[in-house]
Amino acid sequence: MALCVLAAIFGDLLPLPKWDDYDFENLAAPVFTPGHILGTDYDGYDVLSGIIHGARTSLGIAVTAVLLGALIGGALGIIAAYRRGWVDSVLSMYFNVSLAIPTIVLTLVLVAVFSSADIENPSGSLPRELILIVSLTFVVIPVLGRIARASALTWTGRDFVLVAESIGMKRRSILLTHIVPNVLPSLMSIGFLAAGVVIVVEGGLAILGVGTNPGASWGSMLAKNRGELSIIPHTTLIPAAVIALTVMALNYFGDYVRLRIDDRESRI
Amino acid sequence: MKSRVILSVLARFVTVLILVTFAITFLVRILPGDPVSTLIPFATEEQRAELSAELGLDVNILQYYMRWLGDFVSGDLGNYYASTGDGGGVSVSAMLGETLPRSILLMVYVMLFSLILSIPLGIFMAYRAESRADRTISNALFGLASIPNFAIGLGLAFVVGVKLNWLPVLGYVPLTESASEHFRSMVLPTLSLSVGLVATFSRLLRVDTIATLKEDFVTMASSKGLTNSWILWRHVFRPSSTTLLTSAALNMGSLIGGAVIIETVFALNGFGMLLTASIATRQYLAIQSLVALVAVFFMLFNLLVDLLYAVVDPRVASHRGA
Repeated sequence: MALCVLAAIFGDLLPLPKWDDYDFENLAAPVFTPGHILGTDYDGYDVLSGIIHGARTSLGIAVTAVLLGALIGGALGIIAAYRRGWVDSVLSMYFNVSLAIPTIVLTLVLVAVFSSADIENPSGSLPRELILIVSLTFVVIPVLGRIARASALTWTGRDFVLVAESIGMKRRSILLTHIVPNVLPSLMSIGFLAAGVVIVVEGGLAILGVGTNPGASWGSMLAKNRGELSIIPHTTLIPAAVIALTVMALNYFGDYVRLRIDDRESRI
Repeated sequence: MKSRVILSVLARFVTVLILVTFAITFLVRILPGDPVSTLIPFATEEQRAELSAELGLDVNILQYYMRWLGDFVSGDLGNYYASTGDGGGVSVSAMLGETLPRSILLMVYVMLFSLILSIPLGIFMAYRAESRADRTISNALFGLASIPNFAIGLGLAFVVGVKLNWLPVLGYVPLTESASEHFRSMVLPTLSLSVGLVATFSRLLRVDTIATLKEDFVTMASSKGLTNSWILWRHVFRPSSTTLLTSAALNMGSLIGGAVIIETVFALNGFGMLLTASIATRQYLAIQSLVALVAVFFMLFNLLVDLLYAVVDPRVASHRGA
């Protein structure tokens, strides 16, 4: 995991072929070819540098979407829990409505909404990465919003919030000093899981033909080479394995954070 | 008292349903581009006018929504416009007739397979809680749950389909044509979707079962001298299965999403592929009806589970009813 992040940041400094350089001498080279440790695909793209470059795209999309989603969703969830009344009803309804449509389906529709008017000429619109980030953010908001609301609800009833109210603290400072810090940990643990989900959804979208430019992210690497599975399997299986390992790492992280919280909770 | 609870659940269900379908209508409305020239690029002026009336471009969104809702409820899902140039379309219901059974069969297989595998597994792990076997299986399952289903699908396709050449990798064979070929074509898609579910289900069931095993009535049963397997199946399983049930309903959503991808990977040409194709070619009415269908199905499933709770665990019914 840490390796992935490092690779994403410093990838350009490594002495590797550029991810989209053609190497016509080594088309579809198998794993462990000299000069291409993980081989190349049918265009002669180096798989290892593809993975490293893809880490930047995939993780970038996932991190941005989840951070934005956590920020907006978290804020909405906490507001819903603290204000109650009609604000809560409206926001909860919004969360429920968004959650009634399966993630992949909702993302597909959103991507279609944000992409170019002219389907013959998709390059005329926003960058594909940006479209993905915006669509995925919309998908993450209700998930994290609901978690934040549930978590904030358990805190707003606590005595120290009542005390703060009774000594005349302003609502905003109660929210910021008493509720937000307590909601953050649970939001964080779900955030890790959500980042995993986002990476998976990105891969799935790529397989469905909705994604970044061919080969630019992990998902689109495997989508691009999927047809050659029987001839050059490593070009598909390596990105698939990298996605799986990253998601696994994120899930372990999320689980670890959750255990830490439970531990703290049980000591109270 | 009880019927009032059911009524309020139903009222909430209908409200969310209407809001969801309206939201979908809105999303489809704001899809960029001119629908008429996208769908029938080479049509005559009358055909264009006809289509724009059918797509409700001449009325406001609320009127259009009401009309669409009426059609949808009465089973008319609109047309799918192929680029034949004559301005005609194939009805979405007809296309569903062919693709929907494949997807439903796939989901039924996945659910059955996952439950059959995970129920004994979960109970076994709980019975042997904290033993070495339990820990090994738990960790393995945690890992398996993290692997995206398309990665499993591609891996399986490579190992079982390409290397060993045991099972077909692409295509679908209807049940009526050849039962054995049908099952052979469904094994890999079912397995790819099931692995994650088995992991989720059995881990949930394990946690719940461990909790149930600590209850007094279990101690009572074993002090009466009942056999362990009798206690596990007759006394422990039912109260432990409520979380499993919720999770099965919640996972229906990701299962539909997963099925969309897995259908593409294994070229099953089911509902998911119809939906993707509709979105890619901007089939306005088809997108709207298909997404609405998914949402309705997903919500119905959740509603069903909500109501089933009371059957599985009478304590819930008395809680809510009283």
